[in-house]
Amino acid sequence: MGLARFVNGQTIQGVLIAAISGGLFWLVWIYGNGLRDPRFLDGWLLASGMTVQLYFHIAIKTSRLAPKAAMRWRKIHIFLGYLLVAAFVSHSDFSLPDSGFEWALWLGFVLVTLSGIFGTYLAWGLKAKSGIEEGTGFDRIPARRAELARDVHAAVTKADPAAAAFALPAAPHDAWVMDLYANHLRDFFEGQRNFAAHLIGSRRHIKRLTVEIDNLSRYVDKPSQEKLAIVRELVIEKDRLDFARVYLGLTKAWLFVHVPVTYGLFVLMVLHVIVAYAFSSGAW
Amino acid sequence: MRSGRAPRAERPSKPPSPRDRLAVLLAIVTAICLGAAFLFSSGKQFLAPGPLASAHGAIENCGACHTKSGSGSFSWVQGLVPGDPLADSKACLTCHKMPKTAFNPHGALPDVLKQSTKRLAKVAAVTPAPQSARAQSIAFPTDAAVAGGLNCATCHQEHKGANFNLSKISNEQCRSCHVVKFDSFDGDHPRFDNYPFKSRTQIVYDHAGHFGKHFPDVAQKDKEKRIPATCSTCHTSRADKRIMAVAPFEQTCTDCHLDQIVGKERATGPKGIAFLTLPGLDVRTLKEKNAAIGEWPEGSEAELTPFMKVMISRSEKGRAIIKTVSGVNLQDLGNATEEQLKAVTGLVWEIKGLFYALISGKASDVLGDLNIGGGAKLSPSLVADLTASLPRDVVISAHQEWLPNLATEMASGQAASDQDQGGWAAAITESRLAASVSPEELFGAGSPQASPRSAPQTGGGDAASSAKPVQLAQANQLVQSKSTPGTVAEKSLRIDPYGRVAKTPEEGIETAQAAPPVSAAREPASADIQPQAKAADQTDDLLSPDGGTAEAPARGPENEPVAAQPQPRAAARPEAPAGGGRQVAAADPPPQGKPGDQNDDLLNPDGGAADSTGGASDGPVGGASPEVSAAPADAAPAGAEPQGRAAPGIVSIQSDVDAESWAEYGGWYHQDFGIFYRPTGHKDKFIYSWLFLTGPQAPKGNKGPAAAVFDSLIDKDAQGSCTKCHSVDDIRGKGRLVNFSPPKVDTKQGRFTNFIHEPHFGILENRGCLTCHNLEKGRPYLKSYEQGNPLSFVSNFGAVKKELCQTCHTSTMARQDCLTCHKYHVNGVVTPIMNTRIPTP
Repeated sequence: MGLARFVNGQTIQGVLIAAISGGLFWLVWIYGNGLRDPRFLDGWLLASGMTVQLYFHIAIKTSRLAPKAAMRWRKIHIFLGYLLVAAFVSHSDFSLPDSGFEWALWLGFVLVTLSGIFGTYLAWGLKAKSGIEEGTGFDRIPARRAELARDVHAAVTKADPAAAAFALPAAPHDAWVMDLYANHLRDFFEGQRNFAAHLIGSRRHIKRLTVEIDNLSRYVDKPSQEKLAIVRELVIEKDRLDFARVYLGLTKAWLFVHVPVTYGLFVLMVLHVIVAYAFSSGAW
Repeated sequence: MRSGRAPRAERPSKPPSPRDRLAVLLAIVTAICLGAAFLFSSGKQFLAPGPLASAHGAIENCGACHTKSGSGSFSWVQGLVPGDPLADSKACLTCHKMPKTAFNPHGALPDVLKQSTKRLAKVAAVTPAPQSARAQSIAFPTDAAVAGGLNCATCHQEHKGANFNLSKISNEQCRSCHVVKFDSFDGDHPRFDNYPFKSRTQIVYDHAGHFGKHFPDVAQKDKEKRIPATCSTCHTSRADKRIMAVAPFEQTCTDCHLDQIVGKERATGPKGIAFLTLPGLDVRTLKEKNAAIGEWPEGSEAELTPFMKVMISRSEKGRAIIKTVSGVNLQDLGNATEEQLKAVTGLVWEIKGLFYALISGKASDVLGDLNIGGGAKLSPSLVADLTASLPRDVVISAHQEWLPNLATEMASGQAASDQDQGGWAAAITESRLAASVSPEELFGAGSPQASPRSAPQTGGGDAASSAKPVQLAQANQLVQSKSTPGTVAEKSLRIDPYGRVAKTPEEGIETAQAAPPVSAAREPASADIQPQAKAADQTDDLLSPDGGTAEAPARGPENEPVAAQPQPRAAARPEAPAGGGRQVAAADPPPQGKPGDQNDDLLNPDGGAADSTGGASDGPVGGASPEVSAAPADAAPAGAEPQGRAAPGIVSIQSDVDAESWAEYGGWYHQDFGIFYRPTGHKDKFIYSWLFLTGPQAPKGNKGPAAAVFDSLIDKDAQGSCTKCHSVDDIRGKGRLVNFSPPKVDTKQGRFTNFIHEPHFGILENRGCLTCHNLEKGRPYLKSYEQGNPLSFVSNFGAVKKELCQTCHTSTMARQDCLTCHKYHVNGVVTPIMNTRIPTP
């Protein structure tokens, strides 16, 4: 029900963005038909929208918004961001720029937009696929990962006391578990792994590892099976930590592109408006 | 406090994060980089939003188009200051020349747009407008944009790349201003309104009449004559693709129509245009009323030509005379009022002055200053065309025949008191004047005028006999004064068109000192008029105007008063009621006896050759004058005719060809009491120039002299028959215009529709041109030309229907955007050659 509501909400937003963008294109078209330069209409829409977006950033930075209001504003920020993409495409007349100054503007906007879209993806996409435990801090992840590594090592190397009581030679279950550890788990627990897979929310790597553990479980005795069950839990825990590390890291990192480039873009934008009017030949 | 905003007191103050510091740093770096770019870049090209279109690609200076841009690094900021919104567009006109209406919609005049809008509003009422057009006109109306003048950049957007089509404009943009808003040509585009026949063709050519009647008739009568077989025999679009031009006259019409132009086919009336005439007057009544008209033939029945009216009307006085006599029957002055008689008298002297001026001066001086067209000086080429190389000999021969004593009359002061200053008066330099006024100089010592025979001719009896000497004395005095530069006479003497001496009051006394007293002048003058007294090498001053007449004739006492002038004035009248008048008639038959057997004066310019050989002619000039015949050869003027006349054994050539026939292929001739011009063929410059000159002064119904000339030349029976084929348009406020110029692209300026024939030739069906131009019989085509409004027109052909174009011009076949058939800049745009100074060393 929740997912359905989420999908419905996303769909409605997508449809709304498409509809408003289409309306914007049509408005600009009839504006141009009315013997006016349409670049002034979509240009001002773009500049106004960018100013609103910047205001949101300033409001967040100056803590003018309460957390609840900030959440609401963030949705508006993302929604408006998509609409500004339409305005930008219209303003650039569906073509690439020709001059250096325009390339600078174009690249600035594209960087801000892409970083924003990536942030939105992080916010809406990854978090929805893999929940991050409350209280998981980005800085504590390496320590926790080391603990897990120690735990798994301890679990794997713990000897089976019953094995020595058998008269007949038994199957080398511990050796098999050790092989598993040596070939797959040791490296896995040594550090951050599967960045790309976590970035796109893929679980194929963890599935492959747990399947390996499960397959081995079928051929070992009961104690080894219990040992492998513990190892399996630790592997999953480690994978969660890896995801949390990627998510939390990217959540911080994308803003290092989005915000500074926005500042630079604003400087370019102001100059662009001045130049546009200074060199306009009265056709707006 | 609303929940959406955190209380200020609760806001923790965070130290700036590395991200924020980086953001601020990047903004600062961006600003610094931009500032450096402005400071260190050579131009402002880096600000350009894109390359210019290839036509403008060579422009490197932003200020060439962005007028406020300047050349400094930051001077472009001046562009933010409000100024003339059309300033940049005016810069476009530096290279793209357009009329003053350039910034109006379509570059058209406001009245044209207003009328067009008014007309189309009716169409708009029944044409469904698309939704987008409605929305646009509501949300973004164009009225305000149009009212202030349309910038060039409204439609021509630059900086969109070298290959961008600057003249591209969408149908929707066209539609935004127009009252009729429709979706497409094959949709609700209005139906054509009598296209393409908005105005009549310049050439009056009745296709139906020619196809149905004239061509078959001609083919039947004369198989040699070329009859057009196809439309392309006469029409071609090669020279100018927009126009189906008509082939030249010489290739198409000449076989049938040339003879009409030169008058060969004219059955009645003169074949030439009467240019100068000696109009018939009721001389008897004038004499009875003692009107001082001087010599005038009684036999003329000619009428005053409109050309002469123009020439006489060049002065205020002349206009008054023409106005007064315009309602008078000159040949029956029995009921004329005193004022009218006075005007007729004035007219006589104006005509005499005109002839005198034409002989004594240059034809170009006389015809080059007609006071037509606001008094503007006529160009030499126009004057040349107006005179059509009128030979002086034709005028001389006419004058010798009609007014043999003209020189004498003009030289006398006779006219001075009767005629006020004006008319053909001209300040002539004294030397010119002296040469002009002397009859001897005009006709040579041996000429009839200067011969003793002439003396009685100009007056008999005491009074009359004294007239000639007085006139000549005055003339001689003038001649004498010519040789004494610096005298008062030289400074003050002027001669009016009639050859009389004019003096300003303050100059009178001094002039009197210089002028010989009349009484005293008689005797010396009488001696002076003897042919023998003239130098043997005396030449005809028409040929040698200043030739050697400076030998001082006898002078009268210098202190004699000039008060005797009224006396010679009376005496100088040739038909003065003195006894000598009869003697004159007996000795020298009056001009009126001449016309009946008038000869071609081009062949026989002085009219006296036959007489000199004892021919039957009794003309007044030759007049079989024994005096002339007996005149010594060495006393004859340098002119060939007098010499020939005097030479024994020369027999004049007789001809049965009359003057009119002699000029069969055009030119001047003199017949009866008129000097005629016969058109030389198509594109006759004489007729063209007079129509060109008088047209603007000849609005329909105008009774002025210029209009009279114009009307006479465009008359149905006018010689040359120009307006048989060339239509005449009434130009509002500007008279009338004969459409001589063939249609050109220039003449199509101002039209909104732009049809090019050539691309359509390949798709015509078997009917060829008739596919679109359907000949419809019975249409009153020729009636369209019976009035002057070119827009009132019924063609021989049916109008082209929209449905016909729509067979190809649809959304799936041929183009149907607005600019396919319509053009925006209806008056065209010209890129003139740049001003290039000739390189100098």
